[in-house]
Amino acid sequence: MGFLRSFSRHSTLIILVIWSVLPFTWAIQSSIKFTRDVARKEPVLWDYETTSNAYNKFWLDDEDINMYKVLAFILAFAAVALLLAMVGRRVSAGSSWLLGFVDLAKFVAYVAVGLVVLVPAVLFVVQLIKWGWSGLLLAIPIIGLISFLCWRFPPEIKLDRTNTYSNGRGWPFFVAVPVVLGFGMWLFPKIFEVEDEYWFFVNSIIVTVLTMIISITIGLLAGYALARYSGLSGAVILIIALAFRALPRTAFVLPYYFAAQKLGILDSRLVIVMALVAVNQPFTIWMFRTFFMDVPKEMEEAAMMDGATRFEAFRKVIIPIMWPGIIATSLFTLLLAYNEYLFVRVLAPTNWTLPVAIVSLTGGESSRTITEAAAASVSITLPIIIVIILFQKHLVKGLGAGAVKG
Amino acid sequence: MNRRTFWGFTIPSVGVMLVLMVFPLVTTVWFSLHRLKIEDIDNPTWLGLENYRELLSDEQFWAATRFTLIFVAATVPLHMIFGLGVALLLDKVARGRAVYMAALLLPFIVTPVVGTVIYKDLFERGGLIAWLYEVWRDTPFVVTSGNVKRLIIIQSVWHVMPFSMITFFAGLQTLPTERAEAAAIDGANYWRNLWHVILPHLRVLILFVALISIMDAYRVYDSVFVFAGDRFTDAHTLQVYNVEQVLDPNIGRLGKGYAIAVLNIIGIFVVLIPFLYKSYKDQIAERT
Repeated sequence: MGFLRSFSRHSTLIILVIWSVLPFTWAIQSSIKFTRDVARKEPVLWDYETTSNAYNKFWLDDEDINMYKVLAFILAFAAVALLLAMVGRRVSAGSSWLLGFVDLAKFVAYVAVGLVVLVPAVLFVVQLIKWGWSGLLLAIPIIGLISFLCWRFPPEIKLDRTNTYSNGRGWPFFVAVPVVLGFGMWLFPKIFEVEDEYWFFVNSIIVTVLTMIISITIGLLAGYALARYSGLSGAVILIIALAFRALPRTAFVLPYYFAAQKLGILDSRLVIVMALVAVNQPFTIWMFRTFFMDVPKEMEEAAMMDGATRFEAFRKVIIPIMWPGIIATSLFTLLLAYNEYLFVRVLAPTNWTLPVAIVSLTGGESSRTITEAAAASVSITLPIIIVIILFQKHLVKGLGAGAVKG
Repeated sequence: MNRRTFWGFTIPSVGVMLVLMVFPLVTTVWFSLHRLKIEDIDNPTWLGLENYRELLSDEQFWAATRFTLIFVAATVPLHMIFGLGVALLLDKVARGRAVYMAALLLPFIVTPVVGTVIYKDLFERGGLIAWLYEVWRDTPFVVTSGNVKRLIIIQSVWHVMPFSMITFFAGLQTLPTERAEAAAIDGANYWRNLWHVILPHLRVLILFVALISIMDAYRVYDSVFVFAGDRFTDAHTLQVYNVEQVLDPNIGRLGKGYAIAVLNIIGIFVVLIPFLYKSYKDQIAERT
């Protein structure tokens, strides 16, 4: 009886999972097909040739470039960034250097093995699927093996260790990783000839990062004050913010369009960042307030007793224990800024970000755009999925925290 | 915390909201009383309530209002019931919960326009569901103005369901086990337990999710714009209609757009004032 019950629960959940990931798998499949296969009325499910043409067309100007080169370039930079992250963490965690090097060596070995084994294995599996059912039967154990390896052998990469942030020596990490990735993004168009979409991607990143920095900084201060102040104006600010949260986007975007036109800053990233910071502010202060309510008042009162000012106590005592809350709120800001469509469409007629770029691709009816739109969808979604998987715990906690206390 | 430090801490945020939210709202109301064309933005002419009068007799405006209301009334209960069900299911499952959660969370974190594009692909010619439909019913599946509204609603439920799922799941984790156990000892079956113990415990959360979802469903733009586009203008919601009135090169009427925005604001506040009043009361009670 118990077995039957758990079996039915799991099968229901698996059906739900299929329901929610079906469009993604379909998009991945169409993105590696040739256009002639996509154009057919009856979909080709197994027996098709794979290609990276669609990705090539979306990102690169030069049609003949080998996608493996591009992949190697990206992986190399990601590996260097991760290495620096490890070093930064080791230094700041204050553990002995020797121990740090052992972990580092393990990590390098893991990345190397991953590159040598994993990438060919994935490509091999893709080839196998083309053989039809028998290929799929062969592919399943290989996929299983790969997932087992991924699950069992990664070295400990803890991304949310609170003490790393709190001792204030984590800064090499925060400086080095963006520098390396930024350098990679600067170098990329120098090596490969890129399409406009690459610059839209750069726009996306700049807008997202700036929005996150500004929005979190001012929201953090306000959220803290709103959690600690008992006057009436605090309640009024919170309710007005809640009301602003409810307003339709057009109530803001049309005046911004008008003002930007007048000031001559239409089509700039600045105006998009300003708009996003503004509409995100109500949500940010509410969420931070909820997190700050959990922090006991005695914490900063003890520090202020020792002669620290309110701001010093806030900076040195409260912020370090707030990192989970900051990460959770940053994730929502990231989702909002990266996913924004309407603001960019109205405020940036040519200087787009990625979501606008992909909608412009789907306008036509030709089959060429179907594979390309699928490749674009996969490319846009991947970065955000990686970030969310790394920080999934914080996102779930953030959604819960905002809610549980109502 | 005294008043001065309070304002010191909040002034950046409040300043941003004043300059970038209150000020735009004032200009919205002011210019909704003017004729203002996109190509001639420097010369507004006073119209009085003419924009509003024109809107209220505009068939397209009423069609958009109707569909927006249908959209809210359909998606909000659907995704909440669905999300609650999945949360209860996830709560019962011990093994593999994190994996299920990650997979189910996917539609929520993906860029809405991208989510719509890939969802739409399933129903286009050569798409998986369109093909299955053809195998089953022996007629090709075509997206028409008749079924596009239903497809938009299903897509929206697909997109928002993880939000209510995660929120309710977090709420279920705080359910004191003794109460459920006591109910079980009293011989209450699952459904009675759900009705008398679990749902009352989630009451605040259900209100919270309903509030947020009504706000978000009311101002839906991305998915409807991608799905309906120029092809199915009768499946436009108020937001899409509003933006098209301004950005469409043949229309380009900023003044009328402002008027629609003002009506939208009034509309959402009619629904939300009770909620806002209740939150205000809660805030005051919390402070004393």
